[in-house]
Amino acid sequence: MTQTALNNAEVAPSRVNSKYTPARILARLRTVSLLYLLMLPTILSMLIFSYYPKLDVVIKAFYRWEPGQIEEFIGLKNFQDALSDPLFWNSFQLVIILLVANLVKMWPGIITAIALHRLASNRWRYIFQVAFVIPMVIPGLVWLLIWKSFYEPDFGILNRFLNLTGGMHLLSWLDGTKDVPGVMPNIAEAITPIINGPVTWLFASVWGMLTFGAVAMTCAARNVNPIGNIKRAGLTVGLAFCTFMVVQLAGQDNTTGSAIALIGCILFLIGIARTDGPAWLLWTMWMLAGSWTCQGRLYMLPILVAVAEVINFAVRNMTHTIAAKDIVKWIGLAVLVVGCLLIGFGKIWTVPTGQFEFGSPAWLGNKDLVLPAVIFWGFPWVGTVGVLIYLAGLQQISNDVYEAAELDGVGPIRRVFSIELPLIMTQVRINLIFMTIGTLTAYEFFLILLGPAGGPGNKGMVPGLYMYQKAFLSGRFGYACALGMVLFMLVLLLTIIYQRYVKVEK
Amino acid sequence: MSTARPTKLGEAPKYAIVLFVLFFAFYPLFVMFCISFKSNEQFQANPWFFDAPSEWHWENWAVAWGIVKNYIANSIVTAVISVAIGMVMVVLTSYVLARYRFKGRNIIYYGIIASMFLPGTAATLVTLFWLIRSMGLVNSLWAIIIVSSAGGQVAGIFILKQFIEDIPKELFESAQIDGATHLRQITTVVLPLSGSILATVAIMKFLGVWNNVMLPLVVLRDDEKLTIPVGLLRLEGEYVKQWGEMMAGYAIASIPLVIMFLFTMRWFVKGLAAGAIKG
Repeated sequence: MTQTALNNAEVAPSRVNSKYTPARILARLRTVSLLYLLMLPTILSMLIFSYYPKLDVVIKAFYRWEPGQIEEFIGLKNFQDALSDPLFWNSFQLVIILLVANLVKMWPGIITAIALHRLASNRWRYIFQVAFVIPMVIPGLVWLLIWKSFYEPDFGILNRFLNLTGGMHLLSWLDGTKDVPGVMPNIAEAITPIINGPVTWLFASVWGMLTFGAVAMTCAARNVNPIGNIKRAGLTVGLAFCTFMVVQLAGQDNTTGSAIALIGCILFLIGIARTDGPAWLLWTMWMLAGSWTCQGRLYMLPILVAVAEVINFAVRNMTHTIAAKDIVKWIGLAVLVVGCLLIGFGKIWTVPTGQFEFGSPAWLGNKDLVLPAVIFWGFPWVGTVGVLIYLAGLQQISNDVYEAAELDGVGPIRRVFSIELPLIMTQVRINLIFMTIGTLTAYEFFLILLGPAGGPGNKGMVPGLYMYQKAFLSGRFGYACALGMVLFMLVLLLTIIYQRYVKVEK
Repeated sequence: MSTARPTKLGEAPKYAIVLFVLFFAFYPLFVMFCISFKSNEQFQANPWFFDAPSEWHWENWAVAWGIVKNYIANSIVTAVISVAIGMVMVVLTSYVLARYRFKGRNIIYYGIIASMFLPGTAATLVTLFWLIRSMGLVNSLWAIIIVSSAGGQVAGIFILKQFIEDIPKELFESAQIDGATHLRQITTVVLPLSGSILATVAIMKFLGVWNNVMLPLVVLRDDEKLTIPVGLLRLEGEYVKQWGEMMAGYAIASIPLVIMFLFTMRWFVKGLAAGAIKG
């Protein structure tokens, strides 16, 4: 009986007058409260075990909290400590590296899904599909421990394999010994004059080079209109100024000032995002990473942007518009690639690690090898569930699209970018969001692998692990909550950005 | 799916990619079984392949079983109870959210979904731990059960709600005319139709509970109460490692999941595809 009343109210809005008779209101009330009763377990459990702990983090962030003993309100003190805590911010450098690495590691999964999707034989595709589910039966922790055993210096499969195939000799040849540097340190030494000379002169640093390349590439992606350019330039200068102030003030221990400047940064970032949309924003992330490292010379940021804009403008004036896009894009890409190569060869492997000489490098026990080991972890980086999700997306693509592409003579590789990738953007975006959240908040992996101190030389100290250490080892629970809140705000910001600006084009 | 007629040359790279990935996906499994039959010396001498069957160390498995059987029992109890409780909550809530429009519906729905994007950090673990402590549940499996049945609902509700929305309304309405209550509508309409989706959600949840490391790690103390991940972690942390026994322990820890998958594989592959399309 109550059901019908509800349905009537739903279906026939024309009978508005009769909706407000006491009997009706009572009936409606009873129906709705019954519905709430059905949802009560979920609501209650979510409030208690999901929302309350998160809220409690926000509250406890303002306390000096050692549970059971001290609970004292200290206002913003925890946040001041957090802003001037070098270890905490260093952990973000690691996260940025891991984020970039994970961004690259998303590709094998997509490629595998596409390969699987294009198999001509339906039977084999189904067999493979089932096979991809099977590894899921291994509990995640077992997976982790087995991989950890691969890295063991003496017993580990990885070192055995390298020794067996001669890979170890190759690495040793690249690395050299403490006295006689091998190939890679020599290359680094040879490149150093270029990095310190022309590159620094032109771009302030290699990171500035990356920034320039990124800006140039985004120039190519958009149309030119003068007012937009002025606005954009203004915002960029503002962003550069604010970032500069953050670094300067933090250096002088002026936490309040640097916090205000940080808010300014975020506002400018939002402004830039609003004027320029998706592509620009992703590159702004690059710019932040760049400015982070070339801290001293932030005035270069607006200069680089201006130069890129001028080049874009000049090329567009000289050539046909469509060709201009490509030219600017290639300029940007070339600078990016050269920049990446310079960093790769000139900045990373500068000193021999001396680990490969005797054929048993301790991958997780040496401070130079921890990061490579963590990045290589889980090769070839294909999450089997991810593949199945992409595959489900791919199978919705209709055959017409492929037929049309074939008529136009689109080759198999171009098809990836022109058909398959755009059509699974929804899935890619979801994976991207969860990957980012996961990378920023991860700590289990590092805790189990490297221990609470983050391994040798604290090289594996991610923000989450730092928090864990502060809470459970140093007993500074309130401080851990403050750190958690900072991290949480960052994650929230990134999620919103992705939701709005990583476009899904149908 | 490609429309061009398949040529051997065109197909080969695709098979190569897929097989390459599958090889690495299965290699740890292979290593696990291979080494579980070896003594440390045999592992040192030949880590690549099985030894002759006469030299297999079956006792590794016996020893490992003695160590992990308790952990496994704990894990099974925890996972089964929390999946059962969790599934009841998921079904009830998604049924209501999918079927009815009422005041506060959107707030509740988005409140539930939003928690998926508001990640728990290590700091949440701290507050959660003190919440559990204030409830007096430290060192009790019930803490794990309650928290995990509450925790993994979100994705389930998200998937199941969309599925129930696609069930033709007429089915519910005719049940209503027959005077069916909410519970009756759920058992006669929702459950029979959403079998594979339900199985998928349940399996996902089961995996989530089975794999949960951090909460048991900070909550559980006594050895006889540990769940499988924490138990394995303790085993791995021992100073002198018996590789064979460890790997046998890992293998045994996977067996309950293998059994579960054997029965639900078909549904799972189907359900994953169907659910993912919506997402």
